[in-house]
Amino acid sequence: MALVSSLALAEPQLTSFEVVRGEDGLTLSFATRFDLPASVEDALLKGVPLYFVADATLFRDRWYWRDQLISRVSRTWRVIYQPLTRTYRVSFGGLNQSYPSAAEAVSAVRRVAGWKLAEPGQVDAGDGYYVEFSYKLDTTLLPRPMQIGIDGQPDWSLHLERVQRLAAPKEP
Amino acid sequence: MTKASRWAWVISLVVVTGAALVLSFLLAIATNNRSFYEEHYSWLFWLNLTVAALLMLVIGIAAVRMVLRVQRGKFGSRLLLKLAAIFALVGVLPGVLIYTVSYQFVSRGIESWFDVRVEGALDAGLALGRGTLDAQINEVSQQTLLAAERLGDMGGDAQPLALERLREQMGASDLAILGASGQVLLSVSRTTELSKPERPPLSLLSSARSARVAAQLEGLDDDGSGVPVAGSPPARIRALAIVPSTDVALARQERFLMATALLPATLATNALAVQSAYREYQQRSLAREGLRKMYIGTLTLTLILAVFGALLLAVTLSNQLVKPLLLLAEGVRQVAKGDLGVKQVFGSRDELGGLTRSFADMTGQLSEARSLVQRSVAQVEAARTNLQTILDNLSSGVIVFDREGLIDTVNPGATRIVRQPLSAYRGRRLDEVEGMEAFAAMVWRRFESHADAAESGDRGHWQEAFDMETGANRDTLSLLVRGAFMPQGARLVVFDDITELVSAQRIEAWSEVARRLAHEIKNPLTPIQLSAERLEHKLAAKLEGADQAMLTRAVATIVTQVQAMKTLVNEFRDYARLPAAQLLPLDLNVLVAEVLSLYATAQEAGTLVFAAAADLPLIVGDATQLRQVIHNLVQNGLDAVAERPVGLALVRVKTEAAYTEQGAVRAVRLHVIDNGPGFTDKVLKRSFEPYVTTKSKGTGLGLAVVKKIADEHGARARLMNVVVTDSAGAQGIPVVCGAQVSLSFSKFALAPALTVAASTDTAPAH
Repeated sequence: MALVSSLALAEPQLTSFEVVRGEDGLTLSFATRFDLPASVEDALLKGVPLYFVADATLFRDRWYWRDQLISRVSRTWRVIYQPLTRTYRVSFGGLNQSYPSAAEAVSAVRRVAGWKLAEPGQVDAGDGYYVEFSYKLDTTLLPRPMQIGIDGQPDWSLHLERVQRLAAPKEP
Repeated sequence: MTKASRWAWVISLVVVTGAALVLSFLLAIATNNRSFYEEHYSWLFWLNLTVAALLMLVIGIAAVRMVLRVQRGKFGSRLLLKLAAIFALVGVLPGVLIYTVSYQFVSRGIESWFDVRVEGALDAGLALGRGTLDAQINEVSQQTLLAAERLGDMGGDAQPLALERLREQMGASDLAILGASGQVLLSVSRTTELSKPERPPLSLLSSARSARVAAQLEGLDDDGSGVPVAGSPPARIRALAIVPSTDVALARQERFLMATALLPATLATNALAVQSAYREYQQRSLAREGLRKMYIGTLTLTLILAVFGALLLAVTLSNQLVKPLLLLAEGVRQVAKGDLGVKQVFGSRDELGGLTRSFADMTGQLSEARSLVQRSVAQVEAARTNLQTILDNLSSGVIVFDREGLIDTVNPGATRIVRQPLSAYRGRRLDEVEGMEAFAAMVWRRFESHADAAESGDRGHWQEAFDMETGANRDTLSLLVRGAFMPQGARLVVFDDITELVSAQRIEAWSEVARRLAHEIKNPLTPIQLSAERLEHKLAAKLEGADQAMLTRAVATIVTQVQAMKTLVNEFRDYARLPAAQLLPLDLNVLVAEVLSLYATAQEAGTLVFAAAADLPLIVGDATQLRQVIHNLVQNGLDAVAERPVGLALVRVKTEAAYTEQGAVRAVRLHVIDNGPGFTDKVLKRSFEPYVTTKSKGTGLGLAVVKKIADEHGARARLMNVVVTDSAGAQGIPVVCGAQVSLSFSKFALAPALTVAASTDTAPAH
C-alpha cells in the first residue's frame, strides 16, 4: 500500500532554492513540492498536529578546524485541524492563519521568501561560505506513542536537504 | 578484595541499577505521570537495553566459564551448575508467568480502551457542537439579512441613530455599514470605546456579494489543549449582508451591513472541550499500536532484566553457597591425599563457616598427632640405631631369644667370640648351631632354674662361667655368661670371652707359686751341695776302688743335680721377681750384636744370621733385661733347630722399623725366626704362660719371662708359625716350616719427657 501511495504522489522535492547577498545581509528563499500522504492526512484529520521545520545554517570553511558556524535560523510551522470549524490552522510563531482545506494549509508552509540568514556584518566579501538547509516533517514533536507507532514508516519520512556554496559577490 | 567478592560487587551493582530503572518505570506508570514517562521513554528504553546487554554479556561470560569448568571437570563446577540452575529456575519461572499474564493484560487492555461507542459518542458530541454553532451562524446571518433589507427600505442613507436601533433589535455587539471594498463607513458598537471594527476578509465579502449574505465564525481556536488561546479575542460570529438598493438607476456603490455577535462563553468552552477530547481520543487511537509496543517493550525489558538479574543472583548465590562446601571438599581431598597442611577457613558466622572451621581444627589436630607419632617413631628409630651401634661395637657377645626360645638378635661380638655365624641362625634355636649344644643346654637350664627362683629377688638375672670348645681347633674358650629376662618373655644372654683374663690370672698365680717355691727350695740346696762335697772330701780318701768311684760319681750327680735345681730355682725367681726395668735409651742393633757375640760358633756355622736394619731409632729399655730376652729367644731358636742337619738349620734375627703413613716411626720390631718344627696350636695360645714348652728339657719359663719383660717395656710380643702355602705339600694345605717370635717396641728415646713418662708408666705393677 505504501508503494501504491508513493507512486500516486509526486516525489517530494525542493523546487527552488536561492541564497542572495543583499544590502540587508543574506537572505534565503526556497520552495518545495510535496503532497501529504494519505496516512499523514488521516492523522491530521484526526487532530494530530503536524510540524514542519526548516533549518538553515551558514558555515565558513576552516581548513585547520571544524568549519565555523556563522549563523543558524530555524522555522517551525504547526498545522492542526479544527473539527469544530472544519478549518486548518497554521501557526508560525505567534501568527495564526486558518484555511478551509488541508491543501491550502500545506501550501502555506511550503515556501518562504526573503528569509534572513545573516546580518550584513556577519558575512564579508570573501568566499568559502556555504549553507546547509533542511526541510522536514518533524515527527519528534509528535506525541511519543505516535512516534513509536509510525517509527520507520516511509509516509512520515519527509526530509529534504540541500547544501549550497555561496557564490562570491560580483564586483561592483 | 578477592576475585569472588569483586564479582559479587559488579553483579550486585548491575542488578541494583537494573532494579532501579525498572522501579522508575513502574513508578512512572503507577503515578500515571504519562507525560514524564512518554518524554523519557526512549532514554529509559535505551538505558535499560544497555543494562540488559551488559547483563547478557556478564551472564554469557559466566555461562561460558561454567561450561568450560564443567568440561574440564574442575572440582565443584557441577554442584555450582546445579545450584545455579535451581536458583535460576526459581527466579525465572514466576517472572515468565507474570510476564505472560501481563502481556495478555496489556494487549487486551489497550484494545479495550478504544471502544466504538466512545468514539461514536465523541463524534456525536462534536457534531452536536458543530450543529449548534451552525444554528447560531444561521440565525445571525438571517437577522443581518433582515436588517440589511430594512436599511435598504430606509433609502440607504442610514443615520447612526437608526443603525443603533437596528443593532439593539438584532442583539449584535457591533454593527457597521461597509463600502464596496469593505471599508467601514459607519459603525455602532455596544461598548462605549470607539474602535472601528476590522475589515472583513475578502473571501467573506465576495461570498456575501454572490449569496446576499455570508457569515463565519471567528476566534474559536485552541492550540490543542482544549482551552481558548489566552489573549485572543472572544469567539464571535461575523455576518455580512449586502444592502439592497431601491433605485437601481442611480449609480451608487453597493453597501454591506456587517454584524458581529459574540458567541456565548459557555458554548464556546464546551465546544472546545468536546473538540479537544475528540482530538485526544483520535490521537490515542491512532497511536495505540505504538502504545502497545511501548508497554510490551517495557514489560519485556523488565522481564529480561528480572531474568538476567535472577540468573546472576543465582550464580552469585550458588557461588556463595558452594564456596564453603568446595573448601571443605577440597580440604577432604587434600587430607585423603595425606596433605595435613593448614586448611582455608570460610569466614562466615553460619553453620557452613563453622563446619570449615571445625574441619580446619580437626585437620590441625590430626597433623599434630601425626607429627607427634613421626617424632616418636624417629626417636625410637634413633634409639634403636644407638642401641644397634652399641651392640655392634660391644666386645661382649649378646644374644636375645624371643619367647619361643628362638634367636632374635645376635651382635657381631657374639659371632666373633664363638666363631660361629650366629646371625645366620636368626629365627632358629641355639641348639641347632654346631658346637653350641652344650652352651645352649646350659643357658636353658639356667634360665629354667632361674625362672623357678625368679621370686627370690635377684633382679632377674644370673651369671655363670662356662668353658666350651669351639672353632676348627677345638680351642677352649672361657666364657662368662650372664642371662636376664626381658619383657614379653624374651631372654637376653650376654657373654664375654675371659680366656685372656684367666690366662693372666694363671700367670699371676704362677709367679706367686714360683717365688715361694724358689725360696723354699733354694734354701736347702746349698747345704745339700756342701754336705755332698764334704762327704766326698772326707770319705774319698777312705774308700778305694769301686766304692770310691761310686762315691765320686754319686756326689758328682748330686752336685750336678743341685746345680741344675739351683738354675731352675733361679729361673723361677727371675721370673717371679724381675727387678723393675731401668728404661734408658739404647740401640737395639748394638744390643743384639753384643748378645750374638756369645754365639760365635753358631754364627760361624751359618746357623745363626743377623740382619740389622739401618737407621733404627733408639728405643728405651733396660739393657740387662732385653739382653736376657734376646738370649732366651736365640737360645730357643737354636734349640728348635738343633735336631736339623747343620747345613739346613737356620735361625734369623732381624730388626726393622715400621713407619706410619705420615712417615713417623710407629714401631721398632725384633724378629727371631727359625725353621724348626714350629709351635703347636696349644702352645701358640698359651706359650707365654709359664711351664708351657715344646722342648723335652726346659722350665717353660723362657717365653714367660720374655712376655713379662716385653710387658714391662710396653712392647708387644707375638708368636706365630711361619707357613708356606705353596710348598711341595699337596692340595695347597699350609705347611708349617718354622716359628717366629716378634717384639714390637713402641717407646722411643725421642724426647726426654717421653722417656720419663714412659718409665713412670712402666713402673712395676705387682
